[in-house]
Amino acid sequence: MNQPPEERVKFIQTDLVLPYHYVAGDYKALYLRALKDKKILGSKCSATGKVFVPPLMSSPDAHAPCEEIVELPDRGIVTTFCVVNVPVYGRDIELPYVVASVALDGADVSIYGLVQECKPEDVEMGTRVQAVWRPDGERQGDHSDIKYFKPTGEPKAPLESFIHRL
Amino acid sequence: MKAPTSVEPMSQRMTVKFPYKRSTGEVTGRFLAGLKEQKKIWGRRIAGQGVVVPPNSYSEVDAKTGGEWVEVNDEGTVTAVGVVAKPVADLHPSDTSFAYVLVKLDGADTAMAHIVRDRLGELRVGSRVKAVWAPDDERKGTIRDIACFQLIG
Amino acid sequence: MSKLRNVAIVGFAQAPIVAENPHRTAPEMLYPVVRQALANANVERKDIDYQCAGSSDYVDGRAFSFSQVMEVMGAWPPVQDSHVEMDAAWAAHLVWVKMQAEECDAAIVAGFGKVSEGSPMHVLNLQLDPFYHASLGLDHVSTSALQASAYMAKSGVDDAGLAQVAARNRAAGAKNPDTQLRQAVSAAELQKTPFVTSPLREGYLPPIGETATCLVLAAEGKAEKMCDRPVWIHGVDHRIEFQTIGARDLTSSASTKLAAKNAFEMAGVKGVNDAQVVELGSTTPAEELILRDALGLPSGLGGTSGGPVVNPSGSPLCANPLMNTGLLRLAEGFRQLSGRAGERGVAGAKRAVVHASGGHCLQQNIVWVLGTERRWT
Repeated sequence: MNQPPEERVKFIQTDLVLPYHYVAGDYKALYLRALKDKKILGSKCSATGKVFVPPLMSSPDAHAPCEEIVELPDRGIVTTFCVVNVPVYGRDIELPYVVASVALDGADVSIYGLVQECKPEDVEMGTRVQAVWRPDGERQGDHSDIKYFKPTGEPKAPLESFIHRL
Repeated sequence: MKAPTSVEPMSQRMTVKFPYKRSTGEVTGRFLAGLKEQKKIWGRRIAGQGVVVPPNSYSEVDAKTGGEWVEVNDEGTVTAVGVVAKPVADLHPSDTSFAYVLVKLDGADTAMAHIVRDRLGELRVGSRVKAVWAPDDERKGTIRDIACFQLIG
Repeated sequence: MSKLRNVAIVGFAQAPIVAENPHRTAPEMLYPVVRQALANANVERKDIDYQCAGSSDYVDGRAFSFSQVMEVMGAWPPVQDSHVEMDAAWAAHLVWVKMQAEECDAAIVAGFGKVSEGSPMHVLNLQLDPFYHASLGLDHVSTSALQASAYMAKSGVDDAGLAQVAARNRAAGAKNPDTQLRQAVSAAELQKTPFVTSPLREGYLPPIGETATCLVLAAEGKAEKMCDRPVWIHGVDHRIEFQTIGARDLTSSASTKLAAKNAFEMAGVKGVNDAQVVELGSTTPAEELILRDALGLPSGLGGTSGGPVVNPSGSPLCANPLMNTGLLRLAEGFRQLSGRAGERGVAGAKRAVVHASGGHCLQQNIVWVLGTERRWT
């Protein structure tokens, strides 16, 4: 034979294994641990006073340090949201469900959460909500400590009060 | 409050695993088939490079395609040696100390990378080695169809 | 040689180079460094019209990893932003090209990478072709070892020679407060360290380390306002060789030789002896010897000497924070020529040759020529 086989081996299987350990950094470590105590922390920009949740070390728009840590209430406004109607691999939340961007009172950016204890069609931009926490003893110090947000029943917030806090 | 100057570090371990099924082309695919089915090592005579082993479908000198198949011997000369003292898990092809080598097989103009498992203390640049084939039912069409190289003599 | 635009390095800042910083993420390490670099260059973020980062998704274990630093380099008002999946020395080259094209006049170049979070051996294995090399599990220390082995067989340099080169760099690092390994160690002590992959002993290899860096570049007209002693770029070129390590001559660096030739020509100099300082991006003693050969520098072994001072920083042997290593060589050139190198400053240095490398076995090489005066008038 003066040639290798006509029919080629079509592929090789290469399984990449890359070990990592990701550092949270002090700002996020503070934030995550505080959730265990039902506290939500943010940081305040030294130039503009804007409050970021989770806390950032520097402001994305002013490029100034944000070294002051502040505590925020666990209530806020739904700035924008979507209704999920299809199942997602690895999730067993009952369909349909609402995922929302929630601007906590005093924060200039939103955090994400589910909105439950209401019908999806009752959620609107501006709906006022309150966090529902995991019970004492079950909180781990991560984002699942806030189970979801629920509407408070108060009148919805006016657009101008949250349109820049998405 | 001002951010504390020192906070107990927090980190999370995560091993990223990506399974990839990498398609071969005509040249790589037939070279690997040659290992698997024929227990032969094929090179390609490529303009500007000579006989390249293992072969590419293009020249690394000028990226032109073309070339012709040339069978090379499964024996050759070591051109570089590095003995790995403590193999790394999920990476190295052995749990115990082994050597990486570059071997210029007789008939080839380039050296191929592979491993040597035994008589590591005797390995030198210039040593003569011979391919050791994986058993028939263990060859899958990868560079590991050559299980390793072994010192001759 | 046609006339090009004079571009200078006008500022630099870095974080301490440490084995691990468990308190800061990559952007948090970079932010104070960017602020410091801007302050060193007497400008605010609004005076910058281009920014480019050098980093690697695989080092960071994140896809689109550079997007996390865009806001610490500055996100508002928006300016042109770019990234190279390479050492930041190549980000600096991209910026230099943009300045030649007159697309910007003042720019920042950042390097970052939390090396401690991952495993460089696993990551750098992925730079190799998957079919014939990566699947053997070849790591960067092992490929460097293969190159060292081939070089030693050809040149006759032995283990003691490697130890001598390493000891020289460790002695230089002891005078550099900005590097990671700052203790001199004798060649005899280094020769006693165990092999990682022979012929490379632990003592001949860099430590694992991480940092963040920021270099400020400006064109003529702005540079003079930003720095008391701008360091001008006289020439630069980069070249790449085959990925297949067995298909090229590992005992010499043809791409460094060619890049240097082109950089010297652009700079209007004959060669490396027109410089007083040379910084090499060599991560092992064998790489340093190969690069010295390529540039026409004496090996320094067996009593050979003369020519410019090589690796006053201690070289990457003393600190190899991936993605920053090459930029740190440029930074050393800046520090040396602008009188910012303290105790290790080479007196009267007017020209520097700076080299950086990427890929396995010196696959890709960039050579810069820097000077205290403008190149083109």
